[in-house]
Amino acid sequence: MEHDELLKTHNFIVTTKGLELKDKSIQPTGVGDTAQFDGLNPGAGGGGSLSLLALNRNRNRNRNRNRNRNRNRNRNRSFMDAVSTGGILEPWEERDALHQRRSEWVALPLTPPPTLQTLRRQCVDLLEKQYLLQQPDQEMRRAEIDRESQLELSGYLRPLGIENTGGYGATEALFHVILALTDEIGLRYKDRFNVLRPNQIEPRLRPVLPFPGHASFPSNHSYQSFSIAFLFSRMLPEHPASSELFQSARRIAENREWAGVHYAADTQAGYELARMTAPVLEKVCETKMYEALSEWI
Amino acid sequence: MRDYIQKSVHTENYPSFNALWHLQVMGVRDANHQPNGWSAQRTGRTRVAMIDTSVAPSHPNLQGVIKSDLAIDLYSSRLGVFPYLDEDKLGHLDLNSNTSVAENLPGCKALLVELNDRLTHGSLASVDGVQPMTSEAFSGHGTAIAGLIGARPAVSKKHNDDVMAKQHDDLPLPYVGVDPECEIVPISTNFDPEPRGLIIALLYAELIRADVIVMPRIIPDPIREMAELNGHEHNGKPLAEVLAPVTYVDDDIALWKELTQLMVNISQARPIVCAAGNSNEEFGIYPANLASDDNGIISVGAVNAKGFISGYSSANNITVHAPSDDSEVFDRSEIRLDERRDGYNPEGIPTQNANDKFSSFDIISTDVPGKFGYSGSAFGNEMDNGIMREFGSYYCRFGGTSAASALIAGFLALGKTSGELADTADGIASKTWLLSKCKTLSDQDLQFRFPVWTNCVAPDFPDS
Repeated sequence: MEHDELLKTHNFIVTTKGLELKDKSIQPTGVGDTAQFDGLNPGAGGGGSLSLLALNRNRNRNRNRNRNRNRNRNRNRSFMDAVSTGGILEPWEERDALHQRRSEWVALPLTPPPTLQTLRRQCVDLLEKQYLLQQPDQEMRRAEIDRESQLELSGYLRPLGIENTGGYGATEALFHVILALTDEIGLRYKDRFNVLRPNQIEPRLRPVLPFPGHASFPSNHSYQSFSIAFLFSRMLPEHPASSELFQSARRIAENREWAGVHYAADTQAGYELARMTAPVLEKVCETKMYEALSEWI
Repeated sequence: MRDYIQKSVHTENYPSFNALWHLQVMGVRDANHQPNGWSAQRTGRTRVAMIDTSVAPSHPNLQGVIKSDLAIDLYSSRLGVFPYLDEDKLGHLDLNSNTSVAENLPGCKALLVELNDRLTHGSLASVDGVQPMTSEAFSGHGTAIAGLIGARPAVSKKHNDDVMAKQHDDLPLPYVGVDPECEIVPISTNFDPEPRGLIIALLYAELIRADVIVMPRIIPDPIREMAELNGHEHNGKPLAEVLAPVTYVDDDIALWKELTQLMVNISQARPIVCAAGNSNEEFGIYPANLASDDNGIISVGAVNAKGFISGYSSANNITVHAPSDDSEVFDRSEIRLDERRDGYNPEGIPTQNANDKFSSFDIISTDVPGKFGYSGSAFGNEMDNGIMREFGSYYCRFGGTSAASALIAGFLALGKTSGELADTADGIASKTWLLSKCKTLSDQDLQFRFPVWTNCVAPDFPDS
């Protein structure tokens, strides 16, 4: 094989300082026989790859081990920066990047909404959910619906195990940015299809939340939640809750059906749109994702 | 001040190690890192289908390794996007279209028909502007897996600080995977607990006639993901079902079931190498726990550089063990702690312990160049026109049963490349051959199988 010879003359040695490139043809000197390559040092100090040491030794080995990190992070949320208190500054850089890539997301092939006939049929399912929601065993869901009507992150942070832990400000900031950008994208698609809300088609549906004031299809709760799931699991696939985030997203989206404000078709469209726009959002949010990732590795 | 001294003592204390130790201990490379009694004999290239995240094909050690015209990304679209094609349309693909792996599996069969149709000559590489999710930035895992399997030694160019200089000196990159002659087809998927993505990924691997399939990941099947839940019921319903936060569609439940059978069927024709899991899972994670004598699914556990089963790895229902890193253990079964670790405190640690079994050696693999990936870089945009300013960010510490499974996939590929394993060997024959190359080793009362290329020689673990 080409360059096989190279393996005879050179090798990489892992030392506490990093990865060292050793030229075996150089005679040993007093300081060790490591060939130093000028200009290859990424940071101050010697060694070709101090960066190698920056790695958390445990990180990529174990999907579950990420959990252990959290145990060491007991800083109280109230001492954290403003980002984690629920709001962010307008993400102007990401928004700017998103608009520069307008053509990449503005007209994606989202399956159009079902016919009115089908929507009416889906309303029957919603009526059933409306009845079931009143039953005692749905107490937890009622609380969720209430909580999820506001912009808040517990549905995403809890599966990741960082709801009450400090040190994950960038991860939370990333989620807020994704929510902000997808809100805008989703509203454009809603406006395009202009589908009536379920209770506008079926007045016997009595939503437990006020009329959101914009069209139904696709569901933005679904779109936004799945976008967080797609981007987080892209960023850190090893996290044990990578797949659980999708379940959480689906639950949040379905809760909107239970609340009587969305059809099942809206939920599905939100999922589809999230999947299609994920590659664009990945580029737009690259820096935020990088900052968030560095909190985990 | 005291803390500082203590820290420096502990962090300077780790032994250095050779970045290719795993190839030497498996007998694939000799002390000089030369092929150990094998050479490439096969006319074509051995094809490894890698069902994982996307990869960083720009890595200098992966040049010529990634089969870019067949790489497919299933992250953002159901029937996939071809991320690296120069043309908008697909050329002629030589596919195993008449495969019978989906017989009697109606859901899979329907997906196979769709996939075959999608792959016909002249089909679009991507559909209506949907982009692939394959940016290099977040391709760390796949890049590491690909490097372990098939990286090639390379000579790159190093940045010259003298701005007037016209010449850039050569920079040797002496890194190699198990089978540097193989070709790797990245099949990237997302992590949505939804069966279709993985079914299509597996069907695609079948269609392109992969010699080896490697799947260093869990399948997030809500029912099979946690085997321990089997048999537990609540009010006559399976516990997994009542626990579900969402309602499962019947179609999905049926497809999850088919996926299990599809894996078994495909593994008859081509070995499927799976990571057994990094949390001492009793029988291995799903799908590794499907491995049995009558299929070609291979469950891979991890062994540290001292020859002991890694702290996180299991010994039950594992086909073979391969080199990887280690983890600390402090439970009723064993106390295995890293005494060199910064902050290690011997207080309360019983003197009867197995700390000497811990190995600090990691597996080194290729990483996304620049600041992304597992190893960072001080340079935001590393690899300017192929000129490197550092090499640290091009490699990472890797480990887990992911790393071990990649090494086994490479080992199987090398079997075919070297001609030791017939080109035509199917999944079962490949697995039988792999087992024939194994030495049985023991870790106290546990016995495990460890592949050694020159299997008359006992493996020489470098940290022991």
